[in-house]
Amino acid sequence: MKTRIKELRKERKLSQEELALEVGTTRQTITSIEVGKYTASLVLAYKIAHYFGLAIEEVFDFSDVNEF
Amino acid sequence: MEKFRTKVKRRIVISSGMALVALVLGFYSIYSLITLDSSAATHSDSFVAGFQFGLIISIGVLAVIDIIKLSLTINDETKLRVLYNKEHDERLITIRNKAGAPMIIITSVLMIIAAIIAGYFNIIVFYTLVIAVAAQLSVSAMVKLYCMKTM
Repeated sequence: MKTRIKELRKERKLSQEELALEVGTTRQTITSIEVGKYTASLVLAYKIAHYFGLAIEEVFDFSDVNEF
Repeated sequence: MEKFRTKVKRRIVISSGMALVALVLGFYSIYSLITLDSSAATHSDSFVAGFQFGLIISIGVLAVIDIIKLSLTINDETKLRVLYNKEHDERLITIRNKAGAPMIIITSVLMIIAAIIAGYFNIIVFYTLVIAVAAQLSVSAMVKLYCMKTM
């Protein structure tokens, strides 16, 4: 799943470690979500989106899901 | 986070207890090895005793490392939060589950205990159980590594 996490992080000059600490996960998980290896759960997706002050669909691209 | 801090404190107490038990058992094992009647003892007896001693020492060392690591973590708010996140990270929990945790650990510990007891009666059973534990832990570690790379 494509996400805007990397782009949003860069905008806010935020490292993966800092974001991970804020949303209660690990740096490796943030990396995996950013590269599309891992799909975040609804709770984690909400926490990430909430941290950036955006809605989930503004951070995560659900176009792949709609194809099914 | 205060709840987690209490949990970590409890873990330090448990590790201290384990280190203490390992120390007592270690001394007892040394005493047993020294007083072992070499003429009456078979090779398998001394091998099982040596394995048991090695296991006790390993548990003791791991417990001490755990105490040091947790003591350093408990006084640092960031480190405590990182540890909390690591233990509650959904991706890591999924990987651990895929690798068979916690059942692999539970069965391994039970099999090692069974191996030590069986070793005093039948060395073949001892070797079989130890090899089985090594095999299941290796498979679990490989699955974990694979999942870490792909997830």
